[in-house]
Amino acid sequence: MMEIAGQDAELPEMRRRAKFFALITLVVFGAIAGRLFYLQVVEGDSFYRLTSDSIVRTEILPAVRGQIRDRKGRVLATVRPSYNLYVTPRLLTSEAFARLRMTLGMNGDEAMDVWERVHGTAAGDAAPSAREKERPVLLAEDISREAMAAIETGLDIPGIKIVSVPRRSYPQGTLAAHVLGFMNEVSADELRAKKDEGYRAGDLIGRTGIERQWEGYLRGRAGFQKIVVDRRGLPKPDIHEITDGPTSQPAVPGNHLVLTLDADVQRLTERALRGASAAAAVVLDVDTGRVLALVSKPGFDPNEMSGHLTPDAEQRILTDRFHPLRDKTLTETYFPGSTFKAVSALAALEDQLVTPEERTKCHGYYEIGRRRFRCTKTHGTVALYDAIVQSCNVYFYELGARPGMMDRLAKYAADLGLGAPTGIGINGEEGGFVPTEAWYREQKRQNPKSEGFQVGHALNAVIGQGSTRVTLVQMAALYAAIANGGKLWLPQIVDHVEAPDGQVLEEFPPRVRRELAVSPENLAFVRQALVGVVNEPKGTAFKVRSKEIEIAGKTGTAQVHGRHADSEGSYEGTEHAWFVGFAPAGRPRIALAVLVEHGGHGGEVAAPLAVEIVNNYFDTVAPADKNAPHLGLPRRRGGIVPMGDDASAPAPPRKPRVDEPTDEASASATPKAAAHPKSAPLGEAPPMRLDFSKPDDAAPTPPAEEAR
Amino acid sequence: MRIISWRKVRFRFDWTLTLSAAAIAALGLLNLWSAVHDRESHLFTQQVSWLALGAAIFVGVATLDYRLISRLSYVFYGTGLALLVGVLAFGKMVGGGRRWFDLGPLHVQPSEIMQVLTVLALGKYLNDSPALEGRSWRHLAIPVLIVSLPASLIAKQPDFGTAFLILAIFFTIMLTARLKVKTLAAIVGMAVIAAFPVYQHLLHEYQRKRVEAFFNPTSEGAYQTRQALNAIGSGRFLGKGFMHGTQIRLRHFPALWTDFPFAVWAEEWGFLGCMVVLLLYTFLILWVLKIASEARDRFGATVCVGVAAMLFWHVAINIGMVTGILPVVGVTLPLVSYGGSSLLTTMVALGIVMNVSVRRFAY
Repeated sequence: MMEIAGQDAELPEMRRRAKFFALITLVVFGAIAGRLFYLQVVEGDSFYRLTSDSIVRTEILPAVRGQIRDRKGRVLATVRPSYNLYVTPRLLTSEAFARLRMTLGMNGDEAMDVWERVHGTAAGDAAPSAREKERPVLLAEDISREAMAAIETGLDIPGIKIVSVPRRSYPQGTLAAHVLGFMNEVSADELRAKKDEGYRAGDLIGRTGIERQWEGYLRGRAGFQKIVVDRRGLPKPDIHEITDGPTSQPAVPGNHLVLTLDADVQRLTERALRGASAAAAVVLDVDTGRVLALVSKPGFDPNEMSGHLTPDAEQRILTDRFHPLRDKTLTETYFPGSTFKAVSALAALEDQLVTPEERTKCHGYYEIGRRRFRCTKTHGTVALYDAIVQSCNVYFYELGARPGMMDRLAKYAADLGLGAPTGIGINGEEGGFVPTEAWYREQKRQNPKSEGFQVGHALNAVIGQGSTRVTLVQMAALYAAIANGGKLWLPQIVDHVEAPDGQVLEEFPPRVRRELAVSPENLAFVRQALVGVVNEPKGTAFKVRSKEIEIAGKTGTAQVHGRHADSEGSYEGTEHAWFVGFAPAGRPRIALAVLVEHGGHGGEVAAPLAVEIVNNYFDTVAPADKNAPHLGLPRRRGGIVPMGDDASAPAPPRKPRVDEPTDEASASATPKAAAHPKSAPLGEAPPMRLDFSKPDDAAPTPPAEEAR
Repeated sequence: MRIISWRKVRFRFDWTLTLSAAAIAALGLLNLWSAVHDRESHLFTQQVSWLALGAAIFVGVATLDYRLISRLSYVFYGTGLALLVGVLAFGKMVGGGRRWFDLGPLHVQPSEIMQVLTVLALGKYLNDSPALEGRSWRHLAIPVLIVSLPASLIAKQPDFGTAFLILAIFFTIMLTARLKVKTLAAIVGMAVIAAFPVYQHLLHEYQRKRVEAFFNPTSEGAYQTRQALNAIGSGRFLGKGFMHGTQIRLRHFPALWTDFPFAVWAEEWGFLGCMVVLLLYTFLILWVLKIASEARDRFGATVCVGVAAMLFWHVAINIGMVTGILPVVGVTLPLVSYGGSSLLTTMVALGIVMNVSVRRFAY
């Protein structure tokens, strides 16, 4: 190797500097030794005391879930203390277990299961290690107070511990089960997905109803406390240095929800459905769209669903042919049947396809091509009013046969809120379906075997069969809009959110989804016809009419899709019975929809239930609203019910009918109104006017008219 | 020219170097066994295989022809740079950084071996360009380039611990290679001024947290340090005994095997055990420096100083951080920390030192 000039000269200097580096190494390592001496010898004893046998244990402080209350503050869902029993397997003798079993009232199989769980001897489990035998195991959940008292005082059993845990409870039992929903344990997948939201294994999470949709409001946030314990689990309160971060964080309780639901209305509605196997009902406030009752039958007990369901009970609920877990007001869609005729009538009137004077003769069927469309019976000569009152299909078939009727229906059905979710916001609401000609053509394009659009489709659609599907809530909201003069409200179920201290955090004022694009006169006409359905002697619901309250509404007998001859007469082959309406007709307060699955004729099966709901509502819940003046039946001119009395007149179009009986039906109603004379002096309910869309002050004459 | 000269190796084998390194490695294995035997004993087996491979590499590097290493220094260095660029592009993303190549069962960390390769390149440059008057600014351009390339690539991973380490090794080498003290002082001064904006803008959130945790020991991020201090302190003078440590072994402790083995050792063997390890390291470093001062040329001397600096900074930073003197950075304890990249790098470094040692009287 070639020596380079200067190489030798540089090396001695490097050696000198290397020595200096060595010195620095000694100094630095000496300093480290000094640090170690300080830590291990000078402070060693205190570190040793600090760490000997100490373990940090983090205890979770569960958050108290918010309450769910009805509009009057009655508690529908809350949290109650419950007691869980834990045992240390090593200390539990079979003799002690036998005594526990007696106290807890377990049967043989349950006891066997529990014994296996405690001792880990169930099939497939590895034998528990000595350490596992020291770990407390849950023996019984939510034991009764009596059992707890007996165990704590009477039985002297070593190694058992009773732990108090908050537990979701529904004090009203099955009441409003589908609205409230239920909770159960969070799954492993959800734990992974919701890690950031702080869910822990064993936490409950809302599964359906309000519990699910408002989980974030109700849940609150769990806190924790870190405590230092020694090996035996005894706390060492004076040591905080070895814990990481803050030592505790208090739990934040969840917020309370106050619903628009009225527990009384809910209860009386549920009671009205008592005779039906599978049925549903919705009661809405006509002036706000708020939900007063939402009933789906059969129901379930959220207490049972939120606890540990036994496999038998779970099997029973899941295989029930009436689907108790399904919310039939929101997640089930039905053919609206004749209740849809209100929509058809509005569409025909709005587009001036008919006038109230136009009459048709009903022979009991309608023929188009080679097909024959049946009517419910032979109605003779009918005008639109009679066609609604008596539910004459033939009249509507003739409307349906007009060109473009399909899309006309679709347009007005959509305007009236069908075919789209109402936005109530729970239970994964269905939107239903409103077919159009284009839809039928699209069906044909996709499936050449399908027949495409035929006039027959429009004929079915116009009487609420065919492909139109609706939910109960949609129909109730639609009739509420007819009742209130054209405001389609968003059906609301939560009124406001309250902080645990009672402070109102969020309020949800009523929200109008849409002002209907329908003229007040036409609405008034349809309202008048709906009164006729219940109060005309020929009306489909006349037989079950209320003696006290004037109810307006429409019956429906919806054929079941895919009905075959072999199922005729069987339960599944029987029609769904509908009634949708509002009351009192003179000053509508509530709108309701009632459906009995496979109940048969709407007027015979659903209407009586609706009448019972209305009667009970105005008897017990809102007696003050009962005194609305009766609308009565319209005067006929030559057998025809015309469009309003003086629709063109600037003054309120309708005169107080209570004073001018025109036929026997309204005559029978007159004494009823007279029995409540105080309603007029109180000035309540701008009476006798059907045209609610006009503000009161635009009609300065009512007192004069009443005096007349 | 023969590439390997067995005769010289046989006669001049440096037993002191070998045995002191072997002693440290043995204590490290013992410690690892205590830490992992009941949970992840496969780590121990892996470490034993790494050591065996390391020993072979040590002998291999020691017997290579010295001049060959010198001549190929830049080639090695360039290969190392290529690996660093590669790891930035294809490396495995772990914890917000790309630091490893993921080769199936093996994770290769090129920043470790880059430390030795940088030392080689510096040695080669200083050997080829002597400076009689001492080195000042104008002599620094190329060495600074040699060191700043790998340092910035590593900092980009980001691995500021290793980047800082390379800079520290560089300064140590330059100091011994007759860098003028005035120049050095100026560089250190500028580094201090530059440190503030680097801290503010370039450091990642977790890195700032670590530094803040160091100045504020009760904060959340100081958990590791606090646990380590508890473990070390509670070891007292004689320790809790082999496999009787409780503080760290029994807990969830991130990066225990790689960054905190000294805390386990200190808890189980006490102050006495710590002194043994510290003395072994001191002896090894001083011995390497002795070899450096006996080297025949500047390449050998510089490389040995570089290896000594590498060992010194690793030990000082690692134990400093474990004992709470320095913030927590991912710097391993040579021959003791679990991990192949670190162990093999140290073995290569010691093999080169051995090579220099064997040939110190050769020419």
